[in-house]
Amino acid sequence: MSEAKTAGRELSYAQAIQEAIAIAMERDERVFLMGEDVGVYGGAFQVTGDLVHRFGDDRIIDTPIAELGGAGVAVGAALTGMRPIYEFQFSDFATLAMEQIVNQAAKLRFMLGGAVSVPLVMRFPAGSGTGAAAQHSQSLEAWLGHVPGLKVLQPATPYDAKGMLLAAIEDPDPVMIYEHKILYKMKGEVPEGHYTVPIGKALVRREGPDATVVASSIMVHKALDAAEKLAEEGIDLEVVDLRSVRPMDRETIIRSVMKTGRLVCVYEGVKTLGVGAEISAMVAESEAFDYLDAPILRLGGAEAPIPYNPELEKAVVPQVPDIIAAVRQLVRKER
Amino acid sequence: MPTEVILPKVDMDMATGRISRWLVADGDTVAKGAPLFEIETDKAAMEVDAPADGTLRRVKTDADADIPVGQAVGWIYGDGEAVPDAGSAGAGSDEAPQAEAVEPAHPAKAEASPDAAAPSGRLAPAAEERPQKALNGAVGHGVRATPLARRLAREAGLDLAALTGSGPKGRIQREDVEAAATAKGAGAALTQSADRQPVPPASKARASLMPAEPAAPAPDAGPLHAVWMREGTGVPVVLLHGFGAELGSWRPLLAEIPEGVPVLGVDLPGHGGSVDVAAAGFADLVAAVEASLTALGVTSAHLVAHSLGGAVAAAVAAGTAIETRSLLLIASAGLGPDVHAGFIKGFAAATEEAPIRAWMGELVFDPRVLSDAFVRSVTRSRADGRLAAAQSRLAERLFVGGAQSFSVRGELAGLGCPVKLIVGEADRIIASRHAFGLAPHVALHLFAATGHMPQLERRLEVGRLLRELLR
Repeated sequence: MSEAKTAGRELSYAQAIQEAIAIAMERDERVFLMGEDVGVYGGAFQVTGDLVHRFGDDRIIDTPIAELGGAGVAVGAALTGMRPIYEFQFSDFATLAMEQIVNQAAKLRFMLGGAVSVPLVMRFPAGSGTGAAAQHSQSLEAWLGHVPGLKVLQPATPYDAKGMLLAAIEDPDPVMIYEHKILYKMKGEVPEGHYTVPIGKALVRREGPDATVVASSIMVHKALDAAEKLAEEGIDLEVVDLRSVRPMDRETIIRSVMKTGRLVCVYEGVKTLGVGAEISAMVAESEAFDYLDAPILRLGGAEAPIPYNPELEKAVVPQVPDIIAAVRQLVRKER
Repeated sequence: MPTEVILPKVDMDMATGRISRWLVADGDTVAKGAPLFEIETDKAAMEVDAPADGTLRRVKTDADADIPVGQAVGWIYGDGEAVPDAGSAGAGSDEAPQAEAVEPAHPAKAEASPDAAAPSGRLAPAAEERPQKALNGAVGHGVRATPLARRLAREAGLDLAALTGSGPKGRIQREDVEAAATAKGAGAALTQSADRQPVPPASKARASLMPAEPAAPAPDAGPLHAVWMREGTGVPVVLLHGFGAELGSWRPLLAEIPEGVPVLGVDLPGHGGSVDVAAAGFADLVAAVEASLTALGVTSAHLVAHSLGGAVAAAVAAGTAIETRSLLLIASAGLGPDVHAGFIKGFAAATEEAPIRAWMGELVFDPRVLSDAFVRSVTRSRADGRLAAAQSRLAERLFVGGAQSFSVRGELAGLGCPVKLIVGEADRIIASRHAFGLAPHVALHLFAATGHMPQLERRLEVGRLLRELLR
């Protein structure tokens, strides 16, 4: 595992992203970042911090509260050869910029016969758990995952947050990165200097023979917690960190399911028509079908807007006990 | 709709049973849950409860007749359902419900009643009132089973309809099929077929509802238990396990073998489904493998073999019976004199979980790679002592005075095919130094912090080396 090259230095997920932005700006003059309150305020989640003082306000650009316009500027800059990073204050506001993301950024290479590409990165603070209620807590990664021409990533660790952002900035096409708000403060080992995490590769975070859990973003940590508790009962989970919604790492997932014979998909987005639905269908269609020893299960968000009440907010997305119960149902012979 | 009363499977190995005593007279009313009849297996007698409220109409059988598991022995008619006359039991004929139901192909009775010749061989009520719910939670003609269970049953030539599922709602899962495959006779069915393809389910579909044939091979004779673990075309991969293991131990590695490559697992004499095949020494192991492969139509193969199986594979490769395309030896025996004699003796004799777990810990560098489920499944397979007896006998022949009585160093030197040897530096069963000083064309892949089970401990790397040989 590439984590092996860390020297034990720990950064938070937010610091790791900030470091990636700084490294990219130092290495490549074409890189700049724009978004609401990213300058002296340091970003709604303090991701950009003091970058404006290091790189100046012509490379860390505060925009008006106008996502469609900002996204349009970013797409245009990318078309002219710049390497823009556009920060949404909340991922929910992608709804305002859909025209630029879906109809322009994702399509222009194709529409112009490969004469141009759109080397654009968009960052989306996503997910529930902050008490920000229904309009500021969604997990809509499946929306953009449905659009050919985009790449959609969900880093679950500080290491991946930095390496994926650097890979995204160097990618010739538009890359959408969903960062989980609760993870911003999470610490983890992050090597100094430049490195990338390959786009489109899932990672087996824990090996085990009894069942495969494919989880994304913060659910990776919940799945790993559940795995620890289930290990005490003699159930040994394999936990696969999806990492990339599009392209999806078919090979790693299918190989794991062929090994364990059981699959649970855990994701925060609404269960119906979500990322786990795609994973389930992909496995059911694959050579892993003949290796399934139980029905495939999905644990996803409830059919509800995210509530403001903190207890209800927890109740509508999968939690560790939900994962434990689902796995027990699969592995045990409960009638 | 009447409720079918079947002869249930009350014991893992049970294929037939007999009703020793009915506790409710034909035509009497019964309450759901009340004792209905007593059945007798070769191990125990027990009461079977009524599955529904209503009026009992028994299917007549000879006293003392062996009845296949799953066969209807009666019907319970609920309120408002017309109860047929005694003896007809809804089968549309006075004749059909007789004892001959056990033998569906009986020609005389088939004439008298077309229903008796129905392919199911089970008594059925008239079509319009045939209960939809049948054995194993099956609905209609289907059986509730997982895709994996279906594949394993297909490969082992087992009929799912004859199995009892242990999963939710009676769903048949992997371990149900594996238990049935290890049960007496089941494996032999496949080895008797020289056909390269697994026996199609249809051709055996109902045969296994019949009492199991005495198919276990006589000691000292007969082919080995072998299973096409994967179908495909081209030169097959043949897997030979180590001492004390069985072909099922290769399953984790299967995912590393490219799709489309046929994979055959073989149980060595005294192991797995070949527990009743005896061997007087190393040469018998080699001869048994060669004969079994030949009988299955395998003329050329990529041999992948572990430990004791490695020595056997090297000898097979050096012989003329099988054209060996490549040889992948994992922690192979036969390369030096000494062996962990305590393990051989202790594991061979072990039948209980604690000693099995302790000895299995010797196999690997980090015991955490051994899941509880793995240890438990090994324990289950050894619980009845048959494997322990066979392997203790074999150990006395193979490891005389704690030394390996066979060497294949010379055989390896003479091989023309690509040969790879995978060895764990921390192997406590066979010392890694045995791997040195072999002929230079034998590639040695030495893994640090690895014990006697690189295929488990270093699965991905072993898979990669295996794929290199298949190219």
